[in-house]
Amino acid sequence: MMKNMKKRSVWFYVALGVVVLGAFTMLFPYLWMVGTSFKSRPETFELIPTLFPKEFQLNTYKEIWQLIPVGRAIFNTLIVEVSVIVIGTFTSSIAAFSFAKLRLPHKNVLLLVLLSSLMVPYAALLLPQYRAFESLGMTNTLWPLILPGFFGNITMMFFLIQYMKGIPNDLIESAKIDGCSYFGIYRRIMLPLCLPALAAQIIFWFVGIWNDYFAPSIYLTEQLKQTLQPLLASLNSTYSSGTNYPLIMTGSVIASIPMIIIFIAFQKYFIKSMALSGVKG
Amino acid sequence: MKSKLHKKETKWAVIFILMPLIGFLVFTLLSLIFSGYFSLTNYNPIRIDWKFIGLQNYIKLFKDQYFLQAIFNTFFFMLSIPFSMLFGLLLAVFINMGFKGNKTFRVMYYLPAVSSAVAINIVWRYIFNGESGILNYALGLSTQWLGNGDWPIKFAIIIKAIWSSVGMTMILYLAGLQNVPKSLYEAADIDGASSNQKFRMITVPILSPVTFYVLITSMIGTLQSFVDSQIFAEGNPAARTIVYYIWSKGIDQNRYGIASAASIILAVSIMILTIIQFRRSRKWVFEQ
Repeated sequence: MMKNMKKRSVWFYVALGVVVLGAFTMLFPYLWMVGTSFKSRPETFELIPTLFPKEFQLNTYKEIWQLIPVGRAIFNTLIVEVSVIVIGTFTSSIAAFSFAKLRLPHKNVLLLVLLSSLMVPYAALLLPQYRAFESLGMTNTLWPLILPGFFGNITMMFFLIQYMKGIPNDLIESAKIDGCSYFGIYRRIMLPLCLPALAAQIIFWFVGIWNDYFAPSIYLTEQLKQTLQPLLASLNSTYSSGTNYPLIMTGSVIASIPMIIIFIAFQKYFIKSMALSGVKG
Repeated sequence: MKSKLHKKETKWAVIFILMPLIGFLVFTLLSLIFSGYFSLTNYNPIRIDWKFIGLQNYIKLFKDQYFLQAIFNTFFFMLSIPFSMLFGLLLAVFINMGFKGNKTFRVMYYLPAVSSAVAINIVWRYIFNGESGILNYALGLSTQWLGNGDWPIKFAIIIKAIWSSVGMTMILYLAGLQNVPKSLYEAADIDGASSNQKFRMITVPILSPVTFYVLITSMIGTLQSFVDSQIFAEGNPAARTIVYYIWSKGIDQNRYGIASAASIILAVSIMILTIIQFRRSRKWVFEQ
């Protein structure tokens, strides 16, 4: 009530104007992408460009499935998503339980060692890993993207440790007295109590895997084996010299808009976990 | 009895952390050791007669004009950081004023952080296109942003980097603003401070740990940029970064030795930055 009564100064409205203009700049590339994807090819060469098509067409949305294996790429991406997230969440959360609640010798040193992996850039690990996967005959398979994920996600683990520390020890002690095994405590007590934190981290991870490009582009060179991002990159390099912008923008829409919808739907979780991991460092 | 129970607990505690521990040993430690080892050899998977050559790769790197250029480009792209920090801070302070619709702005500015970098770069490539790009049309320019000139592409990448990082900076500053005690502002109000003074004397100093954190993480992020060079600039030498150099030498040309040496230099720089951040944040927590 008070807030609405407060009279804003002129400067507030000036600043608001600038922020609105900035917000339009933020949205513009997305609008341009979606708008162009609905244009016909000749329309993209017109002297006076418009943001939205004069004649709305969906041709490229039909065409793209025949020109490149988009369906297959989405399927491959989802295989990586599901296998990495299901197994990786299990390994990360059970390790978090151990770090947060169990009697583990040298706990802090071990945790620091695991956290130190976060400061090693992927580019410094890439060549030996590439060589190893290559000699195992795993290039152009999804294994190089899936296998490392099985061993957990240190960011998720760290986040869950913080969360689990807030769960009272009494719960665990009484479960022990009732003869519950350690795995049982994890499965029946810790996991259900961590669901909100877990959900936030899983959404975060899902978007991260969907958008991942560097490793997939190196390991997957055959179109049929590719996940969505490298396929989009090859669509761009094939068709941009022919300036088929509606087609390229259609590919970009397919590769980016689903995650934007997920983000908007779950923004509450995103921003919370983003800010938490950020400030804690 | 009790010690037996403890032993059992410790056993399970170790089993539960086994997977991340093995993952660390194989995918971080062992990989890093091999990178270090490769960097001291002229290893090439298609050659049999590779050997240990000491520090020659490192010496060669600093004589390679492409590597020096990649370092220069990568550091030049860091020019986006101060802009992103300034805009992010001002945005956060404004949005934190709490008005109707402020959450919508928060979402809009944060969008690039969850978007496919490939898709975003492809769209920006179209926008910056010299002939058919909307940017030149809107500004009445004829700059060949993506052409052979050395500077236009660099500035295009900086503009793009500000656009994609400002939302992230804003979110971090917003989180930091939640920690500013209201009482400080109330006391300043009693002393008759102007809002400008409050911003400079209270908000900015209290946010300084966030500022430092954003600075270091943005530097680390820029040190690892790759998609800008590969997708947006399509390998234009004026926009090649350190990671692009590692990728093209290692994956493209199979020259593992020199690529690994470059990757070790990158890893060491990032580790130094991380340790600086870590020590600084510990000190800050202590002072609190």
